[in-house]
Amino acid sequence: MRALVRMSAGLIVWAIAFCLLYALHGLGCARGWATIRFGETSAHQTALIAGWLLCIGMGIGIAVWQWPARSGTLVDRTGFRLALIGVAATAITGLPIFTLPACF
Amino acid sequence: MKALKLHQELTAIWRNAPGWRGTLCSVNHSDIGKRFIVGAFAFFAIGGVLAMLIRAQLATPASAFVGPEVYNQLFTMHGSIMMFLFAIPMFEGLALYLLPKMLGARDMAYPRLSALGWWCYLFGGSILIVAMLAGVAPDAGWFLYPPLSGKQWTPGINSDVWLLGITFVEISAMCAAIEIAVSILRLRAPGMRIDRMPLFAWYLLATAAMMLFGFPPLILGSILLEIERAFGWPFYTPALGGSPLLWQHLFWLFGHPEVYIIFLPAAGAVSTILPVMARTRILAYGALVAAVMALAFLSFGLWVHHMFTTGIPHMALGFFSAASTLVAIPTAVQVFAWIGTLWSGRPQMKLPMLYLIGFFVVFVLGGLTGVMLAVVPFDQQAHDTAFVTAHLHYVLVGGFVFPMLAAAYYWLPHFTGRERVMQLGETAFWLIFVGFNLTFFMMHLTGLLGMPRRIDTYSDAMGWTWLNLLSSVGSFVMAFGFALFTIDVGLQIWLGRHHRRNPWHAGTLEWAMAIPAPAYNFASLPQVAGRDPLYDQPDLGVALARGEGWLGATRHGWRETLAVDMVTGEPDHIVILPGNSWLPIATAGVLAGFFLAMLAGLYWIAPLFLVGVGAIGWRWAWTNGAREDYGTLPAGQGVALPPSTEALGTTGWWGSVFALAASATLFASLLFGYAFLWTVAPDWPPPQLIARTVLEPSLALLGAVLAIVAVRRVGPDGRTALAVAAGGQIALILALVLLVVLRLPSPASHAYAATGAVVAAYAIFHATLAATMLAFARARIASGHIGGARLGELRIVRLWSDHAAGAGVVATLLLALPGWIA
Repeated sequence: MRALVRMSAGLIVWAIAFCLLYALHGLGCARGWATIRFGETSAHQTALIAGWLLCIGMGIGIAVWQWPARSGTLVDRTGFRLALIGVAATAITGLPIFTLPACF
Repeated sequence: MKALKLHQELTAIWRNAPGWRGTLCSVNHSDIGKRFIVGAFAFFAIGGVLAMLIRAQLATPASAFVGPEVYNQLFTMHGSIMMFLFAIPMFEGLALYLLPKMLGARDMAYPRLSALGWWCYLFGGSILIVAMLAGVAPDAGWFLYPPLSGKQWTPGINSDVWLLGITFVEISAMCAAIEIAVSILRLRAPGMRIDRMPLFAWYLLATAAMMLFGFPPLILGSILLEIERAFGWPFYTPALGGSPLLWQHLFWLFGHPEVYIIFLPAAGAVSTILPVMARTRILAYGALVAAVMALAFLSFGLWVHHMFTTGIPHMALGFFSAASTLVAIPTAVQVFAWIGTLWSGRPQMKLPMLYLIGFFVVFVLGGLTGVMLAVVPFDQQAHDTAFVTAHLHYVLVGGFVFPMLAAAYYWLPHFTGRERVMQLGETAFWLIFVGFNLTFFMMHLTGLLGMPRRIDTYSDAMGWTWLNLLSSVGSFVMAFGFALFTIDVGLQIWLGRHHRRNPWHAGTLEWAMAIPAPAYNFASLPQVAGRDPLYDQPDLGVALARGEGWLGATRHGWRETLAVDMVTGEPDHIVILPGNSWLPIATAGVLAGFFLAMLAGLYWIAPLFLVGVGAIGWRWAWTNGAREDYGTLPAGQGVALPPSTEALGTTGWWGSVFALAASATLFASLLFGYAFLWTVAPDWPPPQLIARTVLEPSLALLGAVLAIVAVRRVGPDGRTALAVAAGGQIALILALVLLVVLRLPSPASHAYAATGAVVAAYAIFHATLAATMLAFARARIASGHIGGARLGELRIVRLWSDHAAGAGVVATLLLALPGWIA
């Protein structure tokens, strides 16, 4: 079971990132974080970017951790591939943070 | 002679009793699988007739064929039947029948659970059909959105029929998910490493995992809506802090993964059949595994794309739009792997191949319109039009029905042991293919011209008349095709000549046995050294029949198969499976009593049936196990292994892990609902919060700690520790009951209190279950079932007890916190 979880680790990070971004988005809109300035941007967008970057970092960490296994068994190789897919999916899923209005 | 003797001995152990008793008590996976398939096809036929009635109504403008009340029932029942009573049970049946045979096992991990699933499916589905015949079928659309489905707008029992009937059927889906996952992970032939598994098993493993996490939100949503309708607790009523959007979230949290839950097993069938038809091996096995895993995860990030027009902020829509387009990539990886396989092989245009080509054409078109609908501005234009209906039919018929038809023709010789009689299948294909495209391609056009879904009539002035007429003609052409398919299958079953083994020259293990398959599958289990064992060893079936593999002898009348290490496929222990039993049908019958009592509004009688289920469950668990240690037993190939009663990491333990994962998902969905209402719904914060208290939370915490600590001190003679742990669970129950009764406002007053009461009910239910299991373990120690090396049951009880304690603490904190911080 541990091997299967390790194999899915990159996608688990994507799932965490997706839930985190959606939760931060909802919470920020409900609490009015968009109206709180934080430098050049709002506290809401800052929180979202921070969460997004954190998850991308975690995904990269998983990929680095899986790097030695990239030429191992099929399960190991798949784990490494899925880690890369997880990072790419996290990056793409979070792009609307930079392009779309948050709360309307 | 040895093969014949072994066959006779194994048949005596594995066969059903004669007559009706044998039919009702059978737990054999081949029987149950075939029943699911036949049942699903029967429901498909009913759903198909409803579709023809819908098309008859829409064939001409201002039709008076049926009125709006009947029409609403027609489209609601068509959708509900096809999704819940056809698609999922059909693949469950195929999985139950094929998996043990492909994995090199003699049965699924929990034969009685398979049978329970079948009876729940049959009884639950029958409730819906009987309601339809009585004229009280659900009529609020297959996704039953409140407030339309609420008590105010649907005062009759129509919505209750859906909520209770479908929830009953979902029990079978949850049984299947646990069963499939554990069987794939543990019950394989020795040597079948996880990377040697047939791709069909990978697809089903992903599907089972998705079901474990995808179905609980819908089950929760249905429970909440039924409670709202029955008792007036306002989860979806905005005036009292509820939100209809909560239903949409819970429904589509299930509903979108559901599309992939349906597609993936069919894609597994494609990945199995296609290389055989192309006379080669599948290309890019590893990439396909990665694509399947990616789909299993990414498909959970799409649910809001069904809610693009509900007013959700743009950024949130962007997250889901991005995920919706991303999911096309792993799907495309599979399509390219299949094309590459065809390219590298020497394809034969046999009948299954013809249906696979139909799948390619239709599914790719459906996928392309899916990418269109994933883009928010387009979806906002096409939402709730016939374009969406056309898209979903292209995806589901293309992605499921065509592969299942290919699978039917591919595996029919296995089911029947017979050859085809006439060439009706080819004609059936062309009728279905042309009829389907005529029906649904036109619906893209009517949708783009603005025709809404679910309307029962339209004016000639709208300009949709000839397109609708062509759609209706196409639907009848398609129906003739399915009728011809049915006749073709019937002819093969009753008139076909006996077929030789492995007619397609396939490499997977299900063909390493006589056809139709004997009740025990393999006289002895194979040792596997590659992904296509029959290509490596073409006469494997004969060697296995002679008993030259694992477990090639009988003992004690036991139904035996092997459990292996999940990753390496090394043999681990001998699983002793239960025999035929009346327990599954009895459990389903008592459950039917519960659901019917709820439907009839007999709310005080309904819990008695649950007590009955508990009593049967006790008996069910009691019939497992042994009162003595056997030590290691010869398993063949010179290896001795312990029986499952003396092993650790048994299928029972893993089943509990997956059952608890599903239960925890339901609890997490409930917590999501609580947070969602608190942040999004109107009329929050609630007018009255829970009264501030320290007493009950302290009691709950004490009970949880007691349960967690005591259950760890339980040994083979630990009856006192078990009693203390049960005491802890009872303290937890008492604390939660007091919190709800004494401190929480009335659950009917506001969604806050209603949600809080359900959170408490979840924890109380699990603590009651844990206390019962602890009492059971105490009785098992007294009876001698637990003792010596037979400690597996204690590990399982500990799992459930820990989960109950954890859920109890979370529920208590969630209930008490608002009172403390207010």
